[in-house]
Order: sequence, then C-alpha cells, then structure tokens
Amino acid sequence: MSNKNIDHILELSNELRWQIGDDFHDNLTEGIYADAAQIVSDTVQVDDSKKRFRLDRQIDKIVTSKTFGFPIMFLILATVLWLTIIGANYPSSLLAQLLLDNIHPALKSFAASISMPWWLDGFLIDGVYLAVAWVIAVMLPPMAIFFPMFTLLEDFGYLPRVAFNLDNLFRKSGAHGKQALTMTMGFGCNAAGIVATRIIDSPRERLIAIITNNFSLCNGRWPTQILIATIFIGAVAPSAFSSLISLLAVIGIAVLGMAFMFGTSWALSKTVLKGQVSTFNLELPPYRPPRFWKTIYTSLIDRTLIVLWRAIVFAAPAGAVIWLISNIYIGNESVAAWTIHSLDGFGFLLGLNGVILLAYIVAIPANEIVIPTILMLTVLVTGIDGGAGAGVMFELDSANATADVLKAGGWTLLTAINLMLFSLLHNPCSTTIYTIYKETKSAKWTAFASIMPVILGFIVTFLVAQIWRIIF
Amino acid sequence: MNYNPTYALVLFFIIAGILYVVFRPTKGWFWIIKNNFRSNEKVVIEDVLKQLYHFESSGNKVDTKTLVQVLNFNNNQIIEVVKKMTINDLIYFEKDVLKLTDAGREYALRIVRIHRLWERYLADKTGFSKEEWHDRAEMMEHKLSHDETNSLAAHLGNPKFDPHGDPIPTITGKVAKVNGVELPLLAVNTVGRITHIEDEPEIIYKQILAENIHMGSLIRVIENNATRIVFLSEGEEFRLAPIVAANLTVAPIEKEVFIEDNIARLSSLKEEETAKIIGISKESRGESRRRLLDLGFVKGANIKIDLTNPLGDPNAYLIKGTSIALRKDQAAKILIKKD
Repeated sequence: MSNKNIDHILELSNELRWQIGDDFHDNLTEGIYADAAQIVSDTVQVDDSKKRFRLDRQIDKIVTSKTFGFPIMFLILATVLWLTIIGANYPSSLLAQLLLDNIHPALKSFAASISMPWWLDGFLIDGVYLAVAWVIAVMLPPMAIFFPMFTLLEDFGYLPRVAFNLDNLFRKSGAHGKQALTMTMGFGCNAAGIVATRIIDSPRERLIAIITNNFSLCNGRWPTQILIATIFIGAVAPSAFSSLISLLAVIGIAVLGMAFMFGTSWALSKTVLKGQVSTFNLELPPYRPPRFWKTIYTSLIDRTLIVLWRAIVFAAPAGAVIWLISNIYIGNESVAAWTIHSLDGFGFLLGLNGVILLAYIVAIPANEIVIPTILMLTVLVTGIDGGAGAGVMFELDSANATADVLKAGGWTLLTAINLMLFSLLHNPCSTTIYTIYKETKSAKWTAFASIMPVILGFIVTFLVAQIWRIIF
Repeated sequence: MNYNPTYALVLFFIIAGILYVVFRPTKGWFWIIKNNFRSNEKVVIEDVLKQLYHFESSGNKVDTKTLVQVLNFNNNQIIEVVKKMTINDLIYFEKDVLKLTDAGREYALRIVRIHRLWERYLADKTGFSKEEWHDRAEMMEHKLSHDETNSLAAHLGNPKFDPHGDPIPTITGKVAKVNGVELPLLAVNTVGRITHIEDEPEIIYKQILAENIHMGSLIRVIENNATRIVFLSEGEEFRLAPIVAANLTVAPIEKEVFIEDNIARLSSLKEEETAKIIGISKESRGESRRRLLDLGFVKGANIKIDLTNPLGDPNAYLIKGTSIALRKDQAAKILIKKD
C-alpha cells in the first residue's frame, strides 16, 4: 500500500474519531461494565440471606456510632501505645544489659587479650558495636510488640473503620482518612509508617502522608521525651504530681506533633502539592477473625526485621563517626569539641546548645542514640567525672545521675523544653529518609521531607527561646 | 555582638515579613517580577490575536481603544505591537475596526487550541482546582511548541471540548459548534442539557462553582424573569441572577425525557432508601472517574447507604455487596434514580 493511502486512512480515522466525540470512550467503558454486571446477575447465584451477615452490621453500627465510635477508638489506640511503651521496658533493659553491660566489656577484654591497637578497638567496639547494640536494645522490643498488635487490628478489619470515622478531620486538612492509620503507625516507627502509606492510592494524599509522617513521635524518640520530661519538667512540679505532669508534658508533645501534622498537611495540599491528582475511596471490608500466628510472623518479618536491619545498617557508620570525631584532634581540641564550640552560638539562639546540635547531626541515622551521645559529649566538653571515655556512648542508671551530668552541661528548663520540641521537629532519621526515597522515587520530595521539619524545628525553638527569655 | 531576645525576635519577624511579601502566592513581588519578564512581545501579540478572535466569534467589533482596555498590558506596548502586526499582515484596519487576516486567524486558533487543550489536561490529569485552570492555561499557551501541542493532544485522545465545554480547534483549525443558547433565553418549562460554562469573568465563574452546577447535567427551567432564573437539575433547585445565568449555555432537548424528574444526586440519598445508578456526571474526570467505575458505580447498579459517619462525611454505600465510603463532593457527581 502506498504511503498516500496510509495517510488517507489515518486522516479518515482521526476525522471519524473527532466526529464521534468525547462521550464515546466513556459510554463504551460504562457499557462494558454494565454488560458485565448484567452477565453476573444472570449467572451468579447469591444467597441473599447470608449477605452482610448480622454480626458485621452490629459491630459496624457500634464502632462508627456517634456515642461509642470515638471512645472505642481512643481506648484501643491508647491501649496499644501503652502496652508498647510499658511492655517494651523489660525486654529493652534485658537486651541493654546483655549487649551493653555484658557483651561490650567481654569484647573489650577480648580485644585487650589479643592486644588490638587502641584505635581499632575504639573504632570497632566503642563506635560501631555500641551504636548498633543501642539501636537494637531500644528499637527491637517496642517494634516487636507494636507491629504485631497493629497488624492484628488491621487484619481484623477495624482500622479501615478508624479511617472512616476520622476522614472528615483529615479531609479538612486536604488529607486522606487513611492517614490516621499511617500516622499511628508512625508512633511505632516513621519508616514503617511511610511504607504503610501504600494503602493510600491517591497520589497527592499519599505524598502528604509521607511528608508529614515525621510528626508522629516514633519509638526512638519516646524514651528521650520521657527521660527529659521526668528530669526537668517533673522536677518543677510538686512531688506528688511530678510523674503526672511529666506524663502530660510528653502527651502534650505528641499532640503538638499531630497539630503540626494537620497544619502541614493543609499547607502542603494548598501549595506545593495542589497539582497532584487527588481521588478518594475507602473500602470497608468485612470483619474476619485475624489469622493470629500468620500475622505475628509476617509483621515480625516484613515490618520489624526489615526496619531493624535498615536501622542497623545506618547506625553502624554513625557509631564510627561518633567515635572518630571525639578522638581525632585538630591542634589540642577534638573535632567534636571544636564543632560544639562553633555551634554553641547558634544553639544558644535556639535555646539549645552545641552539644545537642552536634548530637542531632551525628545521630541522624538513629534517634535512639541521641541521649547517649549527648551525655558522652557533655562529659567530653565539660571535663566532669563520669562516662566511659571519649567517643564511648553511655547512659546512666538513674535519672538523677543523668540530671547531674546535664545540669553540669549548663542545661536549664528552657533547654529541656526546647530539646523536647526539637526532638519532635527535626529531620527524619536516615532510615526514614531512605524509605521516603524508596517510596516516592523522587529526590525532590525526599529532600523536602527531610529539610522542612528541621526548619520548622529551628523556627519553633527560636521563638520559644526568645519569648522565654523576655518573660523570665 | 550584643544579644537581646527582643531584638532577635523583632529581627526574625522583619525577615519573615519580607519573605512573605516577596514570595506570597500570586501577589508576591517575586512572582510579579517574574510575570513582567514574561510579557515580552510574543506574549502581547498572541494575547491580542486571541482577544480579536474572541471578539470576532462573538460578533463584536473592536477598535484599538477597547483592545487597550481589555488587555492587561502597558498601553504603549499594545499600540507598538498592533503597528508591528499590521506590517506583518496578521491584522488590518477597516476604518477604526481591527480585523484578523487569514494568517492572523490561523495563529489565533493555534493559541486557543493550546489554551483549551491545557485546560483539558489540567482537568483530566492533574489535581489543580477549577479556579486555577484558566490562569495556568494563560501561561502555558505561550510556551508550548507546535509539536508539543500535538503530542499533548494525542496523549489526551484528541478531545473535542475543553472542560468548560468550549470546542478545541483541531490541527487543521476546525472548530466544533457548541449547541445551545444562553440560559436566560430559555422559556419556562424548557428541558435542556448544560453544554458550556463560561470561565470568564472570574467573579461570576466562582459563583457558578459555588452553586455546584455541573457540566452536562439536565435542567428544567421553572422560573425566568428579569430578577432571577430558577431551574431544577438532578433533584436540586438552583436560583441564579440573569447575569450569572448568561454564562451557562444550555442545549434544549426537544423530545420528552421521561426520567428527568427522577434523577437525583447520590449525596441526597437518605438512610433506608434504595436507588439505582443512572451514571456518573461529567464533572467527575480522569483518575477519580476511573476509580468509581472500577469500584462498580456503573449504570444499573443498586445502591443504598450502608453506614453513616459520626462526623457527617463520608458515608459508606453498599454497592455490589461491598461497602465503599465516598465523600459528599464525590457522591454529588453520581446520578441515581430513587426506587
């Protein structure tokens, strides 16, 4: 066939297509669906009596009712969080004892027995090993408790109802109701929360959920919040109320995180993300008894271990860096001391100090090692007694001893409050950053999600510090 | 440096204020300056051509004075450009009236084509809200090359109309005809279909959007006088001032449409009521529309409310044995016939 003929046919087809008009494609699709529906209704027999059996209806009526819906939801989520935080204490301290108090000295003496050079011993055992051990001890137990419980609720079919109940709140801030779930998941671990945003199938709302997940206080940050609140905020309250006040302070920070989540979601959907496609639909699947063992197994393998592995991979070099900056000297000051002194001015403006800023820089891989790093660096620069040597992270058994070290480092109530705020509002840990990149496949959004919270943190702590100093 | 928290705070607010003034959306200095760089000669020429084309197709005559008033550019710049365009044979004067030459009309159609295609693209493939389509297309129409435009058109499946119902000119410059007349011209009891919603001026367009009037919906006029026009559509009653109603084009339907009074929006369905789906409104586009079809919201399907939400929105609907939650604005775009 000659080219001229082909051109003619193409032209004709374009012409015809144009004449048919825009509705054609839609009508065709709808026709296909309608035909399929017709065939189904003609051939498939449905036992009407079994349709949406009663129990499901009853549960749904209760969990989405005006009176009981929200109390039930808060009760369940609070129980899960409480079990996680309280329940994780025991295995965590066991693990800490094993990895930090037993294996670490054993490794040290082994290194001494084969007369390993001090720098290699310090680099590997005090740096790399200690960071990894810390991350495992703090991170593993809460995740191993939180994720299976969460997955069981998911498997049972309750979580979609939570999304259903809360969607209106999230809609007002331009987000998807399912973000309630990914946010809650973020209380366990932000990286896992970000993986969980896959359940949101609308591109814009999913990006919002990914970027704002960092505002959920993850389990690497809960211990920091609780420790600092106990030491500084509990101390200013009358002793009868001190534990209640410090608990309220921690809850306050978590709620503030949610407020930031809603605010940022709203701002994002109105500005940088307004061009992304947005759709909504939420399926409410029937309830079913959770497959208990299978759920436990998959949540441990899929969520806990994968996240833990990533955290370890990132924590190891962080430990090395922490040891190196404390032991490499420029002139007669270690790199760490030098950095701390140059960050002190900026830190003071934010109501923090150089130690905290440096700790947050080197602890990007894992929030779990922030407090041990702060303690070690404080001892390093103040030269007080205590600690285990330059570059060796440590934690103290009693809150009082920790308080003494921190107060020697010049901490005040303002430092404590701003540390709690900064712990909430700073860049996500590197595991999370990596996960954001894997999920969005976009360097732009990864950079944005990493930098935006830390800028917010600077602004908030700065404002708090200035106002505090003007008032007091 | 002397540190004083008050000074630090004041300095912070000054910097924040400056950043706000420079970068605030649309009115920030940064954007204004950026836009000014944009208004080079090409842009002015193209806007003049487009404006003349619109005047021509609405049958109005235009002289240089009106043109200067309508366009948002420096007056001298426009006069300068008009002079140049006469030399280049894009326009000519017939006494005082400006007219397009054939070459000029062809050029104008190309710009209109890009504008409408881009609006269509924004509607189908992005999440920008309706208020933004027009302004974004105004920017884009000066940027896309001939080839880019054609591949965009192919990507969108060579659409015939833009989301407002305006015809998109083809490559060869063919323009489809919009059926219908302005709403205020219809007599009481006429039944018709909305075929076009004009998006200029912005103030009136925003009113139409606020009313939730949908493209492609059937209406029946029930009152038409100098002060207001009232019509029924999809089970709801709409009242518009004639000046607003004039921006709606409606194609009257001659033959009797028997289902017309029974059509309602899914959002009006009450608990314990059952209904059959008639279809999805044209306002639901792109990805959203496809998802609804995938979930089984198709013609003929039975539907009822499964669960009402403790906060009022969204409600869950039982369709094909599955419970699916939809927000109110989505439910408003699904048309049903109550049983």
